[in-house]
Amino acid sequence: MFLVIGRTIKEGWSNFFRNGYLSVAAVSVMLLSLFAVSSVFIIALTANSVLKNMQEKVNVSVFFKSSVPEESILKAKRDLENYNEVKTVEYVNKDQALENFKKNSANEPVIIQSLEEIGDNPLLSYLVIRANNSNQYDLIGEYLENTSFKEDISRVNYGKNKEVINRLNNIVSEVRKIGLGLAGFFSAISFLIIFNTVRITIYTHRKEVEVMRLVGASNIYIRLPFLFEGIIYGVTASMISMLLLFIALKFTVPFTERLIPGVNIISLYFSNFAMIFGMQILIGSFLGMLSSWFAIRKYLKI
Amino acid sequence: MIKFDNVAKIYQDDFAALQDINLEIKAGEFISIVGQSGAGKSTILKLIYAEENPTEGQIFFNEKPLDSVSRKHISEHRRNIGTVFQDFKLLPKKTAFENVAYALEVCGISVEEILEDVPQILEIVGLGDRQTKFPHELSGGEQQRVALARALIHKPLVIIADEPTGNLDPVSSLEIMQLLLKINKLGTTVILASHDRDIVNKAAKRVVVLEKGKIICDDVKGKYKIC
Repeated sequence: MFLVIGRTIKEGWSNFFRNGYLSVAAVSVMLLSLFAVSSVFIIALTANSVLKNMQEKVNVSVFFKSSVPEESILKAKRDLENYNEVKTVEYVNKDQALENFKKNSANEPVIIQSLEEIGDNPLLSYLVIRANNSNQYDLIGEYLENTSFKEDISRVNYGKNKEVINRLNNIVSEVRKIGLGLAGFFSAISFLIIFNTVRITIYTHRKEVEVMRLVGASNIYIRLPFLFEGIIYGVTASMISMLLLFIALKFTVPFTERLIPGVNIISLYFSNFAMIFGMQILIGSFLGMLSSWFAIRKYLKI
Repeated sequence: MIKFDNVAKIYQDDFAALQDINLEIKAGEFISIVGQSGAGKSTILKLIYAEENPTEGQIFFNEKPLDSVSRKHISEHRRNIGTVFQDFKLLPKKTAFENVAYALEVCGISVEEILEDVPQILEIVGLGDRQTKFPHELSGGEQQRVALARALIHKPLVIIADEPTGNLDPVSSLEIMQLLLKINKLGTTVILASHDRDIVNKAAKRVVVLEKGKIICDDVKGKYKIC
């Protein structure tokens, strides 16, 4: 058994290197296919991260009447935190609200001046609610409508964000659909191209397969090195593709940084490195092996 | 050792490559099968190493009918046979050493044995110093000697040589023929298919003449002739 595995690996490597031109051709084709699929994947990841950023900026603020004591607001906060849909609830008291307001209006002396003239703090305490998912704000709105502290609420600025939230939800689902479609499309093309390339590679070996059979090699003994060679194609193409992807991203960073501030595609590449690389190796070697398996079957008949 | 019992091979379009073949080859024999191109020489050989199956009749190898050998076990059957062809059929991406070693590797022979046996057999066929050469770096005669070494390395019961001298010059042909006779002398059965009159006559061994798929002559100490 170990002898067969050892010989399979030896034969596979030796075939890979000695059929230099064919191996380069097969790896290149596989490389292009994997690169295309991974590029689509990176684009989808970037889009996802942009959307996540935007989603995080979306929230619902619940303003409480000025007469409501702090304990009641904190109780409401705890209540809200119990809902599955609610990701975080942040409490902003009157003083903090005033400070924030002042900070935001620092460039408008008229507003600051009028505030000083009023003397008292006219702002309300409020809770900032963030949902796990942007399509859950409707549900959170419903909770607020039926809650026990409904009477304490002065206003909810949900209405203002509603349109943005809905639009965002639409974009998210559209981008996902397009991403999936593109990935599927490229995968299908890659599969066909890789399959045909490996088939041609094995076609050139058909006479050798005949000779191997004549000297008494069993079908599995003939087949294994070819399958292993298919895996080598996949792994080699994946490694080169990862490198190319990195170089390509490095070049596009200046553009993407301008286009989508806050999203660093290089760190996205590294944080998803294992997944992208694993996916490529899996697709590459699986396709390589599968293609070899089918292509060689034809020449193993008696 | 090998027995053809009323064997016929009919291809599509009712073309009969072989008909009414009754032939017995004994262990240790040297037999030449001669005839014009298309007479059915290669078909007889293919039937022996089970590349083809007979349409009618039965073939016995060591008293075992070949049609009882399952597809899975054909490779084991072929390890009893060494084959040499006109076009050498060497693996182009393997060196002379590796080509010969391959026949042992498929039988699961250990590396130590391979390292011991292969140089020895290459020495015997006169290629001791050409072991690391690839087929395209060898002459026709040298390639055929590699093929012969490969056919012999696993000590088969039978050597099948299908026009082994067809692509060789007279000197190389003679050398290959002498090697085949030597192998036979050491006890291996040799089945030679050829239309090279000189080569067959030189052997002065049993000659079976085929014509249009039928045996028309079977001469124990024969010469290449049309009966």
